[in-house]
Amino acid sequence: MKRQFFTFTLAWLAIALPAVNTQAASDEELFIDKVYPLMKEKCLACHGDRPDKIKGGYDMRTYKGLLAGGDSGEAAIVKGRPDQSPFFVALTWADEDLQMPPKENDRLDKAELAVFREWIERGAPWSDPNVKRALAWGDVSDDGMVVRTRGGLDDSWTYRRYAVDGLWAYQPIAKIESPRADVHPVDAFVDARLTEAGVKVAPRAEKLDLLRRATFGLTGLPPTPAEVKAFLDDGRPDAFDGVVDRLLGSSHYGEKMAQHWLDVVRYADTSGFSNDFERPTAWRYRDYVVRSFNSDKPYDQFVREQLAGDELSGAGPEGQIAAGFLRMGPWEHTSMSVAAETRQQFLDDVTHSVGVTFLGQQLRCCKCHDHKFDPLPTQDYYSFQALFATVQFADRSLSFLENENTRQMATGKARLQRRMKNANNRDKYLEQQVQNIVARQLQEKGPKGMSGEERKQAYELAMKDQKIAVGKATRKQKMYYEREGKRYEPYAFTVYNGPARVAMSTKPIMAMPKPAQRKGKPEAIHVLTGGSIESPAQEVSPNILSVVGGFASPDSSLTKSTFSEGMRGRRAALANWIVDRENPLTARVMVNRVWQHLFSGQALAGTPNDFGKMGKQPTHPELLDYLARWFMDNGWSVKKLQRFIMASETYQRAAAPVDPEVTQTDGANQWLSYFPPRRLQAEELRDGMLAITGELNREQGGPGTFPEINWEVAFQPRLVMGTIAPAYQPSPTRAERHRRALYHFRYRSLADPLLEVFNRPGSEMACDVRDETIIAPQAFALFNSEFVHNRALALAALAQKNGAAFPQRLNIVYRRLFGRTPSAKEAAVLKNHFERTLEHHRASTPVEEPLPLTVERESVEELTGEPFVMVEELDNLKNYERDLKPWDVNAETRALAEVCLVLLNSNEFSFLY
Amino acid sequence: MYGLGGTLGTVAFNSLLAAESPLKPKATHHPARAKNCIFIFMEGGPSHIDTFDPKPALSKLHMKEFSRKSKFASAMSSGKRYYVASPFEFKQHGKSGIPMCSEYKHLSTVADELCLYRGCQGESVNHPTACYHMNTGNRFGGDPAVGSWVSYGLGTTNQDLPSFVVLPELNYPQGGSANWSNGFLPAHFQGTTLRAKGAPILDLLPPKGVTRDLQQMNLDALRKVNRLHAAAHPAHDALEARMSSYELAFRMQAIVPDLIDLGKESEKTREAYGIGQSATDAFGKRCLLARRMVENGVRFVQLYAGGWDSHDYLERAHSARIRSVDKPIAALIRDLRQRGMLDDTLVFCCGEFGRSPDNGVRGGGARVGRDHNAKAMSVWFAGGGSKAGHIIGATDEIGDKAVDVVHPIKDVHVTLLNLLGLNDNKLTFFDQGRYKQLSQTGGQLIPEILA
Repeated sequence: MKRQFFTFTLAWLAIALPAVNTQAASDEELFIDKVYPLMKEKCLACHGDRPDKIKGGYDMRTYKGLLAGGDSGEAAIVKGRPDQSPFFVALTWADEDLQMPPKENDRLDKAELAVFREWIERGAPWSDPNVKRALAWGDVSDDGMVVRTRGGLDDSWTYRRYAVDGLWAYQPIAKIESPRADVHPVDAFVDARLTEAGVKVAPRAEKLDLLRRATFGLTGLPPTPAEVKAFLDDGRPDAFDGVVDRLLGSSHYGEKMAQHWLDVVRYADTSGFSNDFERPTAWRYRDYVVRSFNSDKPYDQFVREQLAGDELSGAGPEGQIAAGFLRMGPWEHTSMSVAAETRQQFLDDVTHSVGVTFLGQQLRCCKCHDHKFDPLPTQDYYSFQALFATVQFADRSLSFLENENTRQMATGKARLQRRMKNANNRDKYLEQQVQNIVARQLQEKGPKGMSGEERKQAYELAMKDQKIAVGKATRKQKMYYEREGKRYEPYAFTVYNGPARVAMSTKPIMAMPKPAQRKGKPEAIHVLTGGSIESPAQEVSPNILSVVGGFASPDSSLTKSTFSEGMRGRRAALANWIVDRENPLTARVMVNRVWQHLFSGQALAGTPNDFGKMGKQPTHPELLDYLARWFMDNGWSVKKLQRFIMASETYQRAAAPVDPEVTQTDGANQWLSYFPPRRLQAEELRDGMLAITGELNREQGGPGTFPEINWEVAFQPRLVMGTIAPAYQPSPTRAERHRRALYHFRYRSLADPLLEVFNRPGSEMACDVRDETIIAPQAFALFNSEFVHNRALALAALAQKNGAAFPQRLNIVYRRLFGRTPSAKEAAVLKNHFERTLEHHRASTPVEEPLPLTVERESVEELTGEPFVMVEELDNLKNYERDLKPWDVNAETRALAEVCLVLLNSNEFSFLY
Repeated sequence: MYGLGGTLGTVAFNSLLAAESPLKPKATHHPARAKNCIFIFMEGGPSHIDTFDPKPALSKLHMKEFSRKSKFASAMSSGKRYYVASPFEFKQHGKSGIPMCSEYKHLSTVADELCLYRGCQGESVNHPTACYHMNTGNRFGGDPAVGSWVSYGLGTTNQDLPSFVVLPELNYPQGGSANWSNGFLPAHFQGTTLRAKGAPILDLLPPKGVTRDLQQMNLDALRKVNRLHAAAHPAHDALEARMSSYELAFRMQAIVPDLIDLGKESEKTREAYGIGQSATDAFGKRCLLARRMVENGVRFVQLYAGGWDSHDYLERAHSARIRSVDKPIAALIRDLRQRGMLDDTLVFCCGEFGRSPDNGVRGGGARVGRDHNAKAMSVWFAGGGSKAGHIIGATDEIGDKAVDVVHPIKDVHVTLLNLLGLNDNKLTFFDQGRYKQLSQTGGQLIPEILA
């Protein structure tokens, strides 16, 4: 299988490549083209690149040093006799005490060992490695291809060879016709491969499975019973097309697409690190993404706005909001950090993030050295970085737009004022806390252990300590509240072009500087030797990744891009280059992501953020190219692309292999003989439950809301710089708490454990594919958590209200959960379960558990080194509209809730077919 | 009431499927000196100058003023500065003569078990980034913690318990649960937080009113409906795996409360760890729990003890912090020794950085403290094949930076893995285009630390 694929890939690439050169190598060619590049890749990092840090005294920079060996004193190479050369023996890993290179993954393979063997056998001939070899850029020999780039830090990198199949993503997108005119082009490409592999295809999916697949896939929510009925009753052949159109038109569509996008750009409402301060209006970016997908904004425009919305003339206020993308990563600058470092940290973050998000290029790899595997030189990294040299952060005044949700703002502000007032009132708890501390000391020492005077002293000291600690915590909490207040003020979390400035993240708003301060010289960007800001080398001009132009034809628009060195326009030019129809990466990357999300996370190219040599090669390269062209020809419309793919048989197949042998021949299902089943994602699981119980609040947009999370996590003190952050308080109304997970206020340092345990990624690294691990804490979360117990009860109450007796009620539950009625066996099992648990519930009466109105939070105060306790009032819990609880309902509902709990935990609910 | 918080962590998959479990025991890369590790993290940056690395030269410089300006210094350490002498007395202890400040009344009695290392250097002077660096090898978070790598490399012997357990303080350290994240490794290797109060694992037990019988009934019903569903989807392996995770969870509900019940320890043991005494109670419990975890087959335990960030009131704050950990740690080492566990168990103790010999003296001379210093710190090892009773490396005469046997944090990581039988260069995982490892790009063993 693998071989066939390889052959095919080469044939495909041959379209763009010149003929292969297969002459036997001269001594010089052998050394310069084969031996030296291997030494460079495998040895010189420790034996030459850093002359001050040569390992084992073995310096391979000169021929003399190479032959002489290191500290052992033994000659490394015996000319003509590889097996007697310690150098070669080390490469073979035969001697346990001397294995080179030391890393398992860097070990030489047989072909590479053969190169060294032949070279030593020939007498280890040396040539000047910096002599440019005869092969020109673009030439291919049996060792691979020489790729045109801006050039590496030395010529041996510049003229190194690349295996051709690792370069697929830089090749121009092929103009390929569908292999068959009589079937859907997607099926034509997929079936061709299946036929080749001799794998039988699965039949069409059951209508119910297909509906659930499509509805969760496009909206992240389950189909309603009415939607199920309508589709099952619709006998027209194009019934499913109608479903897809309906789903693409749903306002929940944009929410689901935004969730995928926000995983990649690492969206959060806070800035991370030691304060994890709020970014008060980051939510406007989140809603911008939802709106963009809902309105089917052409993807090229979507890219332009995020990269340069603040400097494009036509982008308007949406553009200001969109440019928040550039500062979406974690970032903090306080008096504890070094300004030059935080600035560089941002520049590195944005360089890598843009590379990964739009181009599938892991740019961070070439920050310290030319890329080890891909044709990405360090000079490119810094030239690309220079495109962002004028980017400065600002929270700019920008009126709320008509389509932004500002409904909750007045309520939010009023609540905030109450909390602020209470924070000022904390001293009323001091006396009690101090008494407690003294009492504890007294208890430990016994009543006679402390004299009256000692007691008085202990009291005074404790009072002083508490005042210090509580005062500090309160001051800090007010800093959080101050930021919270800005949530309701019309600022855009965005950027402007200007000269370097040092902005502290400890200010609630980073105001836009005056025009005079926005003028000046753009920050100069240098190549940083070894990636260190302390070792700047040559200055670079803004530019794009040279390898892309290197593959383009000389008259391509890609080779003609020019980049302003002025203050304005760098990013606009970059955006134009990225969305240029000839850019081979952009459309492929996005089409691959769209495919991935439709096919249960299984992308055509399996590493959507990495299209380099070390990434996974596309399983269906021609299909990827066909779709990439189709996407651009259809106005970069994501919705059209999804409609097109979903109309294929490939998308509509059943989710099980028809032939058990498939697990032998195609265990990973890469040829897609059946649809890949998947587990619901974290947000789908949570939002889906709320939709099923009828509790979901479908309101869209606006500042983040606060769901009920595990109370212990909510009240847990979180250490921030110098003290603890305020307690987490859920929103007081059911409606607010039951918004979709997308709208939850997203902390970087406080995850909702229910979502986290189901593999919702953190917001430090760009996540392209979510994990789907199965672990025991997921069972705790679904079987034991208050959230799921509350949903079970709500579902039971709903069924109780609308069904006359158990069988009807069970039908309601099944329809809402699974879109079907239970089988006779299922009904029997669950009726029995209901009756058994009913007995239990009749015999026990639940007692109401009140919510706490205050919480005692303990930590250690660093000024005194002593523990302290702080009482925090939980304002939101004072007029709190609770979810339905066991003590609100009768024994029958509680027993029915046990049935619902079991079904919410069932495999059928968790998986999509 | 306080919370367990942030991360649920991850528990061994399943003993029924032990053969395929990602946590089944694995062969080491070379013979291991230690089988388990207890990692004590002193969060906040304990001062080496005031604990294990006395600097008499500072007495002569005390309160002498100077000024620092550098593009590469933070605002915190720039401008007008004063040298600060240690307010603590020092004495040498044991046969090895390891010096400790006089506040270490208990740890000093086991000085000969320690291997004190003074050559380690970090890169960051900011707490969260420095914590991430010490815990994950990457300053910016998001990579797997040391305990995750060790679990990935060695698996664990008890499939009913997590392989990597974290015992945080009431409050989480700066940077939160990313300090024990599995990063890009599969979620099986994530640190599971356990605590002595409240639910030891989040949602370990159902809400009040749900009895074990009732839960057993629910589990039975779940098994039945899942079985009917599986019959229609015979090719879908994940179904069985998921059901098994429920069986394991149900077993853990019985095992974990028992494991953390310190009432099962003798009064004498509890007293030795300082349990029941207000200064040491909290950390004493964590230390005793650590021993119980290791005894029960948990591979890697990490404990936190915070509050070391003494920019001011150095003497009082550091005294209080030392008192809170001194007796428990000494008891842990002695207990492990007495039970014959210390040879197999590596104890490692560090902060995220050391502290500066100078200070801005905010608020006048009475409030003197020390700022952050990544270029010098004291970390120590005990047991697990480390070189007991030795001092390795040294800092300059005022404790400003390491000058002898100097190594970056990644080399400490490499050494720690080495003691556990793992080779950092072989312990790799492919992610985002390259094979990643704890040391990021490869590090060096510090042979001086090995016995």
